[in-house]
Amino acid sequence: MEGEEEENVGPFRRTSARTRRMATRMASALASSDNRAQAALARLEALENDNAGPEVVDPNDDDEYGSDDEEDHVLMQKKQSKNMKRKTRQGKALEKKAARSFMDVLHEANLESLPPHVPTYSRAAVGPPSTSSRRYYCSVCGNAANYTCVRCGTRFCSCRCQVIHNDTRCLKFVA
Amino acid sequence: MTGGSGVVVLDNGGGLLKAGFGGDMNPTAVVPNCMAKPPGSKKWLVADQLQAQDVDVTGMALKRPIDRGYLINTEVQREVWERVLRNLLQVDPTNSSLLLVEPQFNPPALQHATDELVFEELGFKSFCVADAPSLVHLYEASHQPSLFRAQCSLVVDCGFSFTHASPVLQNFTLNYAVRRMDLGGKALTNYLKELVSYRSLNVMDETLLIDDAKEKLCFVSLDVPGDLRLARLSSKDNPFRCSYILPDGITYKKGFVKDLDEARRYCSLPANGESANNDSAESDRSKFEDKKKPELSQNEFVLTNERFLVPEMLFHPIDLGMNQAGLAECIVRAIQACHPYLQPVLFESIIVTGGSTLFPRFTERLEKELRPLVPDDYQVKIIAQEDPILGAWRGGSLLAHRPDFESMCITKSEYEEMGSMRCRRRFFH
Ligand SMILES: [Zn+2]
Ligand SMILES: [Zn+2]
Repeated sequence: MEGEEEENVGPFRRTSARTRRMATRMASALASSDNRAQAALARLEALENDNAGPEVVDPNDDDEYGSDDEEDHVLMQKKQSKNMKRKTRQGKALEKKAARSFMDVLHEANLESLPPHVPTYSRAAVGPPSTSSRRYYCSVCGNAANYTCVRCGTRFCSCRCQVIHNDTRCLKFVA
Repeated sequence: MTGGSGVVVLDNGGGLLKAGFGGDMNPTAVVPNCMAKPPGSKKWLVADQLQAQDVDVTGMALKRPIDRGYLINTEVQREVWERVLRNLLQVDPTNSSLLLVEPQFNPPALQHATDELVFEELGFKSFCVADAPSLVHLYEASHQPSLFRAQCSLVVDCGFSFTHASPVLQNFTLNYAVRRMDLGGKALTNYLKELVSYRSLNVMDETLLIDDAKEKLCFVSLDVPGDLRLARLSSKDNPFRCSYILPDGITYKKGFVKDLDEARRYCSLPANGESANNDSAESDRSKFEDKKKPELSQNEFVLTNERFLVPEMLFHPIDLGMNQAGLAECIVRAIQACHPYLQPVLFESIIVTGGSTLFPRFTERLEKELRPLVPDDYQVKIIAQEDPILGAWRGGSLLAHRPDFESMCITKSEYEEMGSMRCRRRFFH
């Protein structure tokens, strides 16, 4: 959990605070060695993430658009009335919609119920490869990796990289 | 300024938004389709504001309207579109028509939300949607006589959110044969972020900077094992080694490649990668160099094999643990889902488009992967678009300039009268 704040955008983090160490999401994913498949899925999920991570619904967010150094009364009122207008027009449904993910929409669309000849998002998926020979790359240096860490399942290529892995990366950030 | 048509053409990509006027050669605006907020600030920067020279994108929180290629957050999208329409295109939507490039298989709920945004929020006069493959085909067929004669092509769109292989026949996308890989530029950037963060410097918050590093430094390998061997050489002999400098907020507001000549060294390697120094695999072990050299500055990271291992995932997603066929197989499956008469023609009319096809050697590698999967008596011909980021937009510009364009649109009053669902039937999906 401690890693979570580092990971997301800490409001006052400066460039100089950047650290030379592994990303915390990776660390926590790898640390759950009891369920590596889940960690692998989490990692693939993360490939579609943005900096801010999952959207946090903040009711005051709207006020943050535009300049914040001219917050005189009139402007505030104008903003408020604009927001009010927007809210009544769209209703709460749109607010909820905005916070959904594509996967939620897909689930609601219930594509499986369509007759089999109708092309859909799900039916357009390319499917698994015909040859499933996966190549593994060393997590430390990127070379072809022939060894697996018995503790966390991470791949490495040589004794040298194993040492680096064990010393600085393997299960390092378990709380 | 306008192409005379008064039609706004909008290719609303997950990464870049392309907007301009029908009839023009190029879009007026090519801007990030997102909003971002600097750490500690309350002010969100929208679209082109992120490109300003004095803006340092370090650590910015991002909001994107598009999730997995689909318009999900209409609130954010409205902010971006308003900025683009009012400030960059300077149009009044109530006097304009809109041609929007819409993702394939857009679920009805999202079509509905898009219609609402276009007609109710922005108040466009009339509206038409088209899918990217048919527009890319339209544009290329107007330039390539052979495509024009064949009337069909296989459009490979490798964009920000995903990759589609779509057969197009007489300007219609054959939806039943479209195949999709859930891998595009966004995933590649995030993968590079992960590798750099794991190996040297925590850049997990630097999507925009790593995106830039990826665009400037990544390329497609034609011989992965050979290149991996070369990548193990020490810095002077390692043709891939180069470094990227992140902004420090004082001297540098933008990230940049430290030494462009160094970064281009790989280009002068023998083309087919059959490296002469096979023996180096053994001897380089001693020369192997730890990347965490003490003299590296705090704002710098080095790339070697990451430069080609990242785009490599398009060809072998299984290496990432994604149980999906790679690009070559994706293309073959799309073509094989078509009528047998079409197949040989499609194999020789493959158009590659989308920002992720800009990696150097992309086309050569694709051809190399594709050839063994295609019957010997078929030709394989890959057409790389001149500007793959603008392909769909330019097709849209042609379509919007056609005399019958308005008849393809639904008008605001039709929408108000019949609602989203019935109006949509005109768009033949
Ligand atoms: Zn290694
Ligand atoms: Zn380990």
